[in-house]
Amino acid sequence: MIDLNHIVVKFGDFTALHDINVHVKEGEFFTFLGPSGCGKTTTLRTITGFIEPAEGTVFMKDRDITHVPIEERSIGIVFQSYALFPTMTVYDNIAFGLKVKKLKKTEIDQKVRLIAKKVDLTDEQLKKAVSQLSGGQQQRVAIARALVTEPAIICMDEPLSNLDAKLRVQLRNELKAMQKEFGITTIYVTHDQEEALTLSDRIAVFNKGCIEQIGTPNEVYNGSQTEFVCNFIGDINLLDTEISAELAKKNSAILATNHNYIRLERVQLNVPPTDQVVVLDGVVESREYYGLYIKYYINVGHQTIKAIEKNDGINLHEPGDKLKVGIDAAHIMAYPAEA
Amino acid sequence: MQHTLQAPKKWRVKPEKLVRVLGVLFFVYLFFGFMLIPCLNTLTQIFTTKDAAGNTDPWAVIRFFFAGSMGKYVLNSLKLALCLVVTVNVVGVSSVLLTEYFDIKGAKILRMGYMTTLIYSGVALVTGYLFLYDKDGMITTLLVNAFPGMNPNWFSGFNAVLFTMTFACTSNHMLFLRNAIRGIDYNTVEAARNLGAKPFKVLWKVVFPTLIPTMFSLTIMTFITGLCAMSAPTLLGFDSINPEIVRLAGSSIADEAFPQARAALLSIILASFTIILLTALSAYERKGHYLSVSKTKAKLVKQKITNPVANVFAHIYAYVLFIIYMTPVVMIVVFSFQTYGAIRMKKLDVSNWTLLNFFGQADYEYLTSRGTTKTRVGSISGLFNNDATLGGIKLSFLLSILAAALACIIVVVACNYIFKHKKTGVALEYSLLFPWLLPTILICYSYRTFFNSDDIFYVFNNNLYFMNNVKFLIILAYTVVRLPFSLRMIKASFYAIDEELEDAAKNLGASPLRTFTKVKLPIILPSVLAVFALNFNYLFTEYDMSATFASSYGTSYAMVIQSMCQDEGLYGYNINASGRRCASTVFIMIVSGLILYLVYGIGARDLAERIDARNRWKKRGKRISALFRPSKAVAEEEEKLT
Repeated sequence: MIDLNHIVVKFGDFTALHDINVHVKEGEFFTFLGPSGCGKTTTLRTITGFIEPAEGTVFMKDRDITHVPIEERSIGIVFQSYALFPTMTVYDNIAFGLKVKKLKKTEIDQKVRLIAKKVDLTDEQLKKAVSQLSGGQQQRVAIARALVTEPAIICMDEPLSNLDAKLRVQLRNELKAMQKEFGITTIYVTHDQEEALTLSDRIAVFNKGCIEQIGTPNEVYNGSQTEFVCNFIGDINLLDTEISAELAKKNSAILATNHNYIRLERVQLNVPPTDQVVVLDGVVESREYYGLYIKYYINVGHQTIKAIEKNDGINLHEPGDKLKVGIDAAHIMAYPAEA
Repeated sequence: MQHTLQAPKKWRVKPEKLVRVLGVLFFVYLFFGFMLIPCLNTLTQIFTTKDAAGNTDPWAVIRFFFAGSMGKYVLNSLKLALCLVVTVNVVGVSSVLLTEYFDIKGAKILRMGYMTTLIYSGVALVTGYLFLYDKDGMITTLLVNAFPGMNPNWFSGFNAVLFTMTFACTSNHMLFLRNAIRGIDYNTVEAARNLGAKPFKVLWKVVFPTLIPTMFSLTIMTFITGLCAMSAPTLLGFDSINPEIVRLAGSSIADEAFPQARAALLSIILASFTIILLTALSAYERKGHYLSVSKTKAKLVKQKITNPVANVFAHIYAYVLFIIYMTPVVMIVVFSFQTYGAIRMKKLDVSNWTLLNFFGQADYEYLTSRGTTKTRVGSISGLFNNDATLGGIKLSFLLSILAAALACIIVVVACNYIFKHKKTGVALEYSLLFPWLLPTILICYSYRTFFNSDDIFYVFNNNLYFMNNVKFLIILAYTVVRLPFSLRMIKASFYAIDEELEDAAKNLGASPLRTFTKVKLPIILPSVLAVFALNFNYLFTEYDMSATFASSYGTSYAMVIQSMCQDEGLYGYNINASGRRCASTVFIMIVSGLILYLVYGIGARDLAERIDARNRWKKRGKRISALFRPSKAVAEEEEKLT
């Protein structure tokens, strides 16, 4: 569907993207994930045509669109700010692209009302100014405006970042449902790992203008290919050399000289030692209450290990409690230490 | 090696490129033709004076300056500017603090009074003050009766100009300083109080520092206003630079030594001061401002003056200021409905009201020195029945509306270019700000002397100071003078356009023209209309420029008002000139007030507010029509609505 081949983007002397290669499949929900300034939005703008690459090609359905003007690419965009035209009503916002295409009035009306219905906008809301709608409704207008021209793909640039936490979660689910309903190929940009993991079919993790890994949420989370991806996705413990040495004794595959990580949910509390599990004596330093689970900071002598436990409301540990902290060698994610 | 024959490339110019090239040519023409060259010509006039033998003497006018009395005008203007900085800041800052920062009873009414200068300024204001404070003015008469030793001629010369301009020039304080105070994060005040600071300390250490940038700009603008003062010194009799330039510009070499060169020298001196001050201002602005770092700003809560003596003193001071601001306005409005006799005697005649100062005509019967009576037919005429006044209104209306619109159009086009082409846009921006560096009088004087010729090729060898052409010249001057203000205001509104909107329109297939007309223009339109209205308000009653052009073909409304002060009642002519002057002031206040209401009241509404207003009107309409329909139908409709 979309192929980025060896894309290089430069801004003066600064190279923003180094040799980007991505293949997005038809109907897929594909996410560009990474920290601020890593090049994810630049890649998206290269696809949409706002930026022309210094090197490389962009293919859409096997057609080279590298130098095709923006308006001829058939790509819908939902902007971070939604970019809804403030001087137009909701109806006029959605109809804008159709009017540009010089469609008949009746056809425009039909298409606008159809798409509005699909994204749950009422006739009454169509008459309103965009500023009279809530954040979630505005997002629907932005999606409707992007979809009404029937683009081949839709690109979304952090469309949930301006919303409060609760609405973000609610709209995340609606967005996914809408994408499934329309079956449209979607490229989504975010710096929020949770958003990427819950929404995406596949994720490309960006760092410093390069792609570190492309994979399904499970592949990226449980099989992080690089130390950056492992650190960026989810919270994690970097084990010190003493624990690593203990683990190396239990499992010959583990090297003490590597950077050895274990995810918080894999740390076992109050378990007996086995031939694969190193058990350390620890004292609870502090805890963070998240409702669904509790995160503990446990001092094991030479380092503090973070661990989470499901909040069953009974087996809660207080600061100062003594615990046995189990590290299973099978759950270690290891990366060679940089020179 | 294979060669293929290629068809010769057709030379095709993209329409966008052609428009851009034409635009650049237009701005080059505007800058060089109507800003730089005329002003440079003025500069050269100084050094091209000829002595009696016809030889060029480049230093003659400079020698004259140091030997003669020309320095007096410069010193007087500097004295006025310096004093104004103090008095305007004292009155302006205290007005704003009293209405916005301190809890003073009746602050809303006080604010309205202090803001009257927004609709009542220039010649109209000066003539209003003259009406009250002149040697036989109402207030002066009251004061002389109360204090018999008082000089009845106190309201003339420097004192009168300083008094009048002090109260006339606080409009900017009421607009900009007020906004700055309202922008203060109240949490900072609370934090200071919480840390033990007393109210005065909070004002001095927390509030004032955040106002310093605005205060600095206002001080510079006040200083420049004082230097370039025109209507007040002319009408109240004070020898400052601008009235002298106008006098010299109209003088001839037969009457005095090289008047034009002297006028040019004074203009350049004025320009030098302006340039120095504005350079200081922009250097200061570049240093940056105190920006609020607060993410959740708290609205300022008015501070109670806890000391009872200070509180009483503050209230007395506030209401004295209010009386000073409001008295001329009220008196002018009241007297505009009085007969010429009452106006001339400056005594209110509550039994006799008339609309004759506005509408209609009447004969005037008077006693001659020979003891006979004569009748001057139609000598008493209302504002809208007096040919000269009506002519002035029509001309000023037409010229102002054209120039205000032209300035806005030029600036909107320029801003669109500036925001798209950052590098070349800077050059365009500076060229449009160029008139800001020059006093208005220099630009107008330069136009008057430079375009008073048949040899200027780029205006097709037309003498623009000849007969009706002067109207075109005035429009040009009006437009050029308003460009910097329009640019500063409209450019700020362009910043409000989210760049993603343009990207969105482009993505949806809109051409640059469609993006501009359908997306960008509607966003900036309220600001453009506001600038248009402010430009119109300024130009409709402006005096300085039209006085510099001083042509019977370009007699503006302000000049007509000014002339009403001069020949009133002489031999039975122009008998109710003062009444018409009062009526004119009322008319100007109504026009200005209406425009400000349309722009800031109705025009500032966004789409949501407009839709709400439309719905409210629909509901009202339905309610009214329901009165005439059977109740069952109404009930059904109401049910539908709910």
